[in-house]
Amino acid sequence: MKEALLEINNLCVDYVSANGVARAVNNVSLTIAPGETLGIAGESGCGKSTLAFAITRLHKAPALISEGEIIYNGRDVLKMSDKELRDFRWNDVSIVFQSAMNSLNPVITIGEQLTDVIVAHKRISFKQAAVKAKELLGIVGIHGDRLKSFPHQLSGGMRQRVVIAIALALEPKLIIMDEPTTALDVVVEREILNELYDLKEKFGFSILFISHDLSLMGEIADRIGVMYAGNLIEIGDAKTVFSKPSHPYTKGLIASFPTIHGPKERLYGIPGDPVNLLRLPTGCNFQDRCADCMDICKKEDPLLAELNVDYHAACHKL
Amino acid sequence: MSFLLRRLSFYFTAFLIAISFNFMLPRMMPGDPIDALFAAAQGKMDPAQMDAVREMYGFVDGNVFEQYLSYMQSVFTLDLGPSVLMFPIDVTTVVGMSLPWTMFLALGSLIVALILGVTIGTYSSYRREGFFGQFVPPFLAFISNFPYIVTALLLFYFFGLQLELLPLAYTYDPAIDPGFTLEFIGSVAKHAVLPMGSMILVGIATWVFNMRNAMINVLGEDYVTMAEAKGLSSFRVMYRYAGRNAILPVATAIAMAIGFSFAGSIMTEVVFNYQGLGNILLKGIMARDYPLIQAILLILVSAVLTANFVADLLYVWLDPRISK
Repeated sequence: MKEALLEINNLCVDYVSANGVARAVNNVSLTIAPGETLGIAGESGCGKSTLAFAITRLHKAPALISEGEIIYNGRDVLKMSDKELRDFRWNDVSIVFQSAMNSLNPVITIGEQLTDVIVAHKRISFKQAAVKAKELLGIVGIHGDRLKSFPHQLSGGMRQRVVIAIALALEPKLIIMDEPTTALDVVVEREILNELYDLKEKFGFSILFISHDLSLMGEIADRIGVMYAGNLIEIGDAKTVFSKPSHPYTKGLIASFPTIHGPKERLYGIPGDPVNLLRLPTGCNFQDRCADCMDICKKEDPLLAELNVDYHAACHKL
Repeated sequence: MSFLLRRLSFYFTAFLIAISFNFMLPRMMPGDPIDALFAAAQGKMDPAQMDAVREMYGFVDGNVFEQYLSYMQSVFTLDLGPSVLMFPIDVTTVVGMSLPWTMFLALGSLIVALILGVTIGTYSSYRREGFFGQFVPPFLAFISNFPYIVTALLLFYFFGLQLELLPLAYTYDPAIDPGFTLEFIGSVAKHAVLPMGSMILVGIATWVFNMRNAMINVLGEDYVTMAEAKGLSSFRVMYRYAGRNAILPVATAIAMAIGFSFAGSIMTEVVFNYQGLGNILLKGIMARDYPLIQAILLILVSAVLTANFVADLLYVWLDPRISK
């Protein structure tokens, strides 16, 4: 395996509230190699976005990183000073947020939102930055005249392209994408994903792709990690996770997608509700919803075990 | 542009309605100034004399409609007739002398309270967890919850009577000739500290909380998180990305506050014997000086409408989504 670009070791993120401490990310370890696309899947509230935000320390109170380390290119992100952190953000890791509708400021021109990040990190004037901004818009297929437009003057797909252009502005080595296409219709989603492939080829950045859409992920990611109740329960190469999942939860997730071909069948979902993070059961978090639950599952937490080279899952059955 | 025209025609209509009320209100009350004069003379005045007095003051005979037309004409030509209280000085002159002082007091205190309040509100929302965010807004709320008259009299008592630091009355020292001299401007400033300070103290918390609440809403937006993720300075994130959006609801509140500020200055002027419109209005009401009262109400109406119009313009400038 190549030298890791990003290495997360035993990361724990807690939400502290009056009702107790909810551990949204529990003991998660993973690595991302240069140029690799890692997908993180899981249902709402499983901690995947919290994990993504924690990487550049964007989590806000009451969230709190209680344990672990985040090593980027040999530097521990959690030990950076405010100034170092500001330099690190966007220069090394940029983020494409869930909905472009909300991640662009409605009262600031897209030109300013593009140039300010360049000026903040490089010693160049706003004029030179504007030239670069025009170039960036061109890369994502938007005419340079649009610099003076406000976000509400663009369509949803164009806005998401602008957000991607902003993410590319400093040519970071890692782009975190938090459900980048959920707010778009499938046609535009397809266009944007195709562009993303081309851009990735051109610039060679790594992607941490966060989504609940496993089928989309099977297509774009090299490796897939699945999270449940804050735990990483399965991680491995995309093909295997998608075609031969090991963990009962992953199996359930994949079975809940309809197939287009073949006869109409009633869809299989995962029974029960996600666990309450404030009242976790002893043993495996998935026990109440698992069809194969055994006695040991109610007593001991399953640990992430290596099933194959670079393939891990956490289940007592395996 | 069509937006501006639409707003302008709206404000013009509102103005017409408001001055019509202004015309009707005194006429719905029993009696008129001359009746009051007649009553005060205790029968030593005959009806012919009364008619002469009426004519001298320029009161129009005729039905209500004719009176209305002549009233409208006087409003638009700014010829509001002589004041009863300060006869034979024109109402326009009386108002013209005191209006600048009230504007100075009302707008000055509003602007200072606004700038301080918005800055403190922004900062305290951004540093909610810290000492500043926890302590300063509640303290300001405590201060501004005293009834205004108490705050004003306390300041009056301590700084004016006890410490004798600041003057107790007037807009400037009567011994100084008005003019663009350092001495005169210094005197005006010194006389304005207490009245203006008391209005700022009372008004500031509104802005702090308006801005703080708007900021807390905006801080949860994705674009603020994204601005932070971009590694921009906290100053830029705080004022350009969050503050810029949070100021929108505050801008609307400014328009309403200008009306309140003029109304509030009436009490201030009475407490500190400041020679502005409020003082004159009080005297006018005591003397049943209807032309004067009408003129001052006219000014208040114009001030509130103008302020609303300015706020509309401000809003268009602040929020590009409005003007299309």
